[in-house]
Amino acid sequence: MKIIQVVVSPDGTTKVETNGFSGSSCRQASEFLEHALGSRQSERMKSEFHQSHESNLNTQARQH
Amino acid sequence: MSHVVQIATQVRDAAAVRKACDRLGLDDPVEGEVKLFSQTVSGLAVQLAKWRYPVVFDLTTGESKFDNYQGHWGNQKELDPFLQAYAVEKTKLVARRKGYSVTERSLEGGNIQLSVNVGA
Repeated sequence: MKIIQVVVSPDGTTKVETNGFSGSSCRQASEFLEHALGSRQSERMKSEFHQSHESNLNTQARQH
Repeated sequence: MSHVVQIATQVRDAAAVRKACDRLGLDDPVEGEVKLFSQTVSGLAVQLAKWRYPVVFDLTTGESKFDNYQGHWGNQKELDPFLQAYAVEKTKLVARRKGYSVTERSLEGGNIQLSVNVGA
């Protein structure tokens, strides 16, 4: 299940987290919300992002 | 979960402003020129409770303009619940526009969590 969690703090700032996405698809999935809500202050990649990205690179390397 | 983004809310959507006002029991926002104490500004004006002058949002830039005389004419902390309500309603609007379902839940500490289900 692909879920985007948005937590809005009492001061109105928001935190957007993606769950269940593989690799960089999470960035594309949540882009519409980030753009709609305001300006990005920070971005942090979770370990799953790098694991999946690494897996994709390994797959591409084997194909060459 | 693969990435986390922090966002500073910018008020740019009149429909979400209207919904935020409804949510907080405020009067409907008014579009046009508004006279604050020493200047006239234009935008979408929201009258917060106990504030002498409205807060005026420029929807093009996302900036807010107000004159609360350093808190004497309105506590800036009362603006925060409006920004929270706006962000909640804006999230619901854009998510539903894309056909996604949204569930809302109140968390400890006054946070509000929205879960946007984008499918399998």
